Amino acid sequence: MAFVPMYILILGFTIVIDYFAGIYIEKSEGKRRKLFLIFSLIANIGVLAVFKYYNFINDNLTFLLQEFGMQNPVPYLSILLPIGLSFHTFQAMSYTIEVYRGHQAAERNFGIYSLYVMFYPQLVAGPIERPQNLLYQFRKNFDFDYERVVDGLKLMLWGLFKKIVIADRLAIYVDSVYNNPYQHHGLTFALATFFFAFQIYCDFSGYSDIAIGAARVMGFKLMTNFNRPYFARNISEFWKRWHISLSTWFKDYLYISMGGNKVSIPRWYFNLFIVFLVSGLWHGANWTFIIWGALNGFYLVFAIITRKFRDKMNKLSGIEKIPWLNHTFQILTAFVLTCFAWIFFRANNVNDAFHIVKEITKFNGPVFYDSISVMSFTVLCVIMLLFVEIKMEYYKGKFSFFNNRNVVVRYMSYATLIIILLLMGVFDGGQFIYFQF
Amino acid sequence: MLPSSLSRIKKYPVVYFLFKLFLFAALIFVLDFGIGRLLRHFYFTQKSGFQYLTTYSMEQTEARLLVFGSSRANHHYIPDTLEKYSHSSCYNVGRNGASVFYHLAVLKSILKRYTPNAIILDFTRIELEERASSYERLAALLPYYKDHPEIRSIIQLRGKYEKIKLLSEIYPYNSDIFSIIVGNMKFNKKRKEDFKGYVPLKATMDSLGKGSLKEEKEAGLDSLKVNAYREFILLCKKSNIKLTVVCSPYAYKAEGSGISLLTGQKIAKENGIEFLNYSEDPRFINKYSLFTDRNHLNYKGAEIFSPIIGVQLSKD
Repeated sequence: MAFVPMYILILGFTIVIDYFAGIYIEKSEGKRRKLFLIFSLIANIGVLAVFKYYNFINDNLTFLLQEFGMQNPVPYLSILLPIGLSFHTFQAMSYTIEVYRGHQAAERNFGIYSLYVMFYPQLVAGPIERPQNLLYQFRKNFDFDYERVVDGLKLMLWGLFKKIVIADRLAIYVDSVYNNPYQHHGLTFALATFFFAFQIYCDFSGYSDIAIGAARVMGFKLMTNFNRPYFARNISEFWKRWHISLSTWFKDYLYISMGGNKVSIPRWYFNLFIVFLVSGLWHGANWTFIIWGALNGFYLVFAIITRKFRDKMNKLSGIEKIPWLNHTFQILTAFVLTCFAWIFFRANNVNDAFHIVKEITKFNGPVFYDSISVMSFTVLCVIMLLFVEIKMEYYKGKFSFFNNRNVVVRYMSYATLIIILLLMGVFDGGQFIYFQF
Repeated sequence: MLPSSLSRIKKYPVVYFLFKLFLFAALIFVLDFGIGRLLRHFYFTQKSGFQYLTTYSMEQTEARLLVFGSSRANHHYIPDTLEKYSHSSCYNVGRNGASVFYHLAVLKSILKRYTPNAIILDFTRIELEERASSYERLAALLPYYKDHPEIRSIIQLRGKYEKIKLLSEIYPYNSDIFSIIVGNMKFNKKRKEDFKGYVPLKATMDSLGKGSLKEEKEAGLDSLKVNAYREFILLCKKSNIKLTVVCSPYAYKAEGSGISLLTGQKIAKENGIEFLNYSEDPRFINKYSLFTDRNHLNYKGAEIFSPIIGVQLSKD
């Protein structure tokens, strides 16, 4: 992951191709139309494949050939992954696909099209926008709207808080455990994984909030990317709440293109599994991400296969008669399954991941902590986040700090957030995790 | 402002926004100033803990013999023992996670007040290697930025925006609130008991598992650290302080090429400074009962090691 000014040329290359592809797709009929789309897709996926997957594939080829006692003649490329390439590519692809499907008119203004793929708030880590939602906004004139600007700034402040205070604080513990997996025990891994679940959520949703907020200040409306995913009652719901712009991208352009659920049952399962496998691969050129994707695919297929059995068990156990207990149990089950998958997402390699899984099952101590002070901050961060998330999920509109009618409460809540940021924020340059994708 | 004027301003949304922004900035300024000053007060009234030890080292100690270094210095050198051999007062200014930048800053502050007779600088195997954490941990010096102009250039090594961040009164105490509260409580003195700066470690490696801490991978030399090390030596020479650089014992043999240690020895030699290397001393290597982890002697180890250094000091 890197920002190299020369790499702007890569963006330039795909922008030019997609711009003309859009126009020619719209102008053409029949097979030619499809041909232009395929050309654009190959160009986009090709760039992604070279920069993101070439060395990974070559690595695996080397390993495979070595197993047969052969040398790999294919050279390695000394290249860095341009920052945000996966996001940019998917947004560009959604444009040509939508033009092909007739849902979007081809953009004739090269400047506006370039802005669509390079809109700075969401260029490096999304949300991955659709042309129908964003392109028309570039033609609108925006007057200064006090409420809108303040709303945008509030969202940016909350995003900054999630990133600097919560995510980066949790990262200190998570990194010290996951980067030294052979020095820790089961309970420590369980705690680090629990923290990682909140770290990655605050890191990525924090970025999304900043991006959406910055766009809103300027007058643009970007799509919601997160909707309190850890309150999902099952994995399917989790994916409707987590990285929504990517989930819907895969649903619209891959899952439905493969036939979705309007196919035979085995094929449906296959479609689901493949979509998540590809989603894993999209996140990174590493087997850990592929396993993470496959695990999520497996969860979904398994949930569908066992639905009737689980319903029966619920009735027999009588848990359905106590809704709050049933609800809590479902949320916790989905959370534990998600956390288990996060182990593969965070581990530095597959060996580490399996070692961590093995250790966690032992459930032994002692629990590692650097100092009481660091641990207190970390736990406090999780409590703060849970407080806000529970309030937003279950008590929405009942009491609001940020939107309180009392100006003193409102101002003091912004100020408190900034003071906590200064008191507890981590200012040593933590990167956004999703920048690497 | 009168309500009628406010409603007039409301007609101009940009002006209204800027007016509110100004009010909010003023509120933040007042809160930052007030809370920052409160934190500052309680930071300097601590009577125990590592922050108190830094304050004492920089602003109060007048010991004739000082021990500088990281956690290894802090846990390896017993001032009472060294006093017996050197016949002069001794204080251990070593601090957990400190790098050569920290040592240099503390030395500069001390030299503004008085000149000690002798200094022991504990040199780790990774002392001059590139580590981002060495810069991050300079945060320990942030509370002293205002009153110690001599260390400002060192603190600014943390990053190019450090000066701007330090406009905030709260920022120097970032992440310190719990330590400040605990440091002002009486029970902490017993919990974090120190003996003239020295903090004994009680656990032994056997009880924690032999591999309790992984050897960090060797990194390249950090030219800024090399310069800071040279400056430390030159300052001692200029002030006629007898400097001894010591690499105290480790539980295991080094895994890398030892570039940091070799460079440290070479620079010391160039400047006519004694460099004592005990990193692989047979009296300590693989003697796990003398260590808390692979990098740190426990109190039993320190009780054996300190007289060894004491004898070396008394030779001169």
